[in-house]
Amino acid sequence: MPAAIETKALSRRFGARLAVDDLSMTVPQRAVYGFLGRNGAGKTTTLKMILGLLRPTAGRARVCGLDVARQRMAAARKIGALLEAHGFYGNLTGRENLALTATLLGLGAMEIERVLEVVEMRADAHRKVGGYSLGMRQRLGLARAMLGAPPVLVLDEPTNGLDPDGIADMRRFLKSLPDRTGATVLLSSHLLGEIEQTATHVGVVNDGRLVLEGELARLKADLAPELILRTSDDTRAVSLLLAHGRSPVAGQAGLTVALRPGEDADQAAGAITRLLVESGASVFAIGPRERSLEDIYRRVAGFRSSFAEAA
Amino acid sequence: MIAVLSVELRKLNRSLAALLAVAAPALIGIIAFFSLLRAQHPMPWEKWLQMSAGIWAFFMLPMSVTALTALVAQMEHGPRAWDHLRALPVARWKLYAAKAICVAALVAVMTLLNQLVTWGAISAASLLKPAVAPTGVIDVSKVLLLNGKIFAAGLLMIAIQLWMALRFSSFVPALAVGIGGTFFSVVATSAKQGVFFPWQMPVNMLARDAWRIETALALGGGLGALALVAAVLHLARREVL
Repeated sequence: MPAAIETKALSRRFGARLAVDDLSMTVPQRAVYGFLGRNGAGKTTTLKMILGLLRPTAGRARVCGLDVARQRMAAARKIGALLEAHGFYGNLTGRENLALTATLLGLGAMEIERVLEVVEMRADAHRKVGGYSLGMRQRLGLARAMLGAPPVLVLDEPTNGLDPDGIADMRRFLKSLPDRTGATVLLSSHLLGEIEQTATHVGVVNDGRLVLEGELARLKADLAPELILRTSDDTRAVSLLLAHGRSPVAGQAGLTVALRPGEDADQAAGAITRLLVESGASVFAIGPRERSLEDIYRRVAGFRSSFAEAA
Repeated sequence: MIAVLSVELRKLNRSLAALLAVAAPALIGIIAFFSLLRAQHPMPWEKWLQMSAGIWAFFMLPMSVTALTALVAQMEHGPRAWDHLRALPVARWKLYAAKAICVAALVAVMTLLNQLVTWGAISAASLLKPAVAPTGVIDVSKVLLLNGKIFAAGLLMIAIQLWMALRFSSFVPALAVGIGGTFFSVVATSAKQGVFFPWQMPVNMLARDAWRIETALALGGGLGALALVAAVLHLARREVL
């Protein structure tokens, strides 16, 4: 079975600027693939090449095994897209907007009602889109992307403009899509938290290059394990741990200590606790630190405080 | 192609472009209404309808085409709908061809509506001032022929304006070209070279010289049709960044 989306050495140049550089990614069937990167990292350019909207300078993109450049129409039939710019006509109602796309796809009115039901927009579908909130447009955009139940959904920042309840609903909905419909979701975002809570697979793009890709759970497991501890005297604890060849890092949640290669977490926790207690410090809490997508991101793409805030 | 055309037509529903399509001919109708009320002597129907066609071809058609093409293009540029449309499994040339056909059809309807509204306005004013009611009968085939020529001669102007409006996401270049074209057309009304100027080709259909009519019709209609095809092919091939 071919990958839902596959790019090989995909590049795109805008004048002197190389927006996407030799990017090879694989989105497995039925995955929720989080495509992560800073603003301007090359996410949207990559998505546009996958959708056939931009021609690659080099390389190629395939959707369900179909070459996007050579078989654009066949590939486009496999994809539903929600792009950053929704492209709705404000003078028409939500239902009329969907009907335009449905007509172009050769679909009937029943399909429009189905997707409206899925995104819970039936009650507002008679209103002009010009009066919709950003969140409503986002849901309508998702409904439009699902017209005809395409096997691949490409969603660019799908939670933009949604309220907290809407974001939670969207996450649940996207997570459930592969099981419910067998669809594959390529989800682009610059929000670590959004990807972490939704995606099964992740790809990190930085300066146009894919710097990391893989199954999220495996990537987390591959990170060196760490312990986190809270003590009565962090300054003293840091000195003691440094003197014993460890490298503690102070943070808001406490001290983080990386384990040595092959070291058992329980045994390390016991040894550190003994060391600190014997020196007169109290240990309030100690345990393994759950690794997050942010840890992975920091490792591969460098850290910026804006990401931490966004996450 | 029928589906794409139907989509284009439905987009116009409750749009400013649709409003313009009615408003522009209606303005000439208002002028005709008050012109008859100010008239001292009755005139034949043919003169009234020619006067209306003259105003249309001379000024209102170029300005309406400028505004209409800009509005129709902005319906896509404004919400950046091109990305969505061009990502669909629809041949891209069809998207642009449908838009071109839709705009051309709308201009044809406006050209005929202008005459229809003029007839209505003159008829209504005649009820208020029967002494100057139009004389004679309307030769419908002659009216249709004249307006058909005006429309056909305007095709090159329509193609240029639509090309500009669709090519640039800002409406400024298309408006600048349209306003500039209309301005030069108005200030150089009697210039012999005007027959080669796209914005003046429609008004040449009211000229007495046969060569002016034939030249403007051949250039406006022939080159216009070619320019529309070229515009569709160019726009379908280029990337929308």
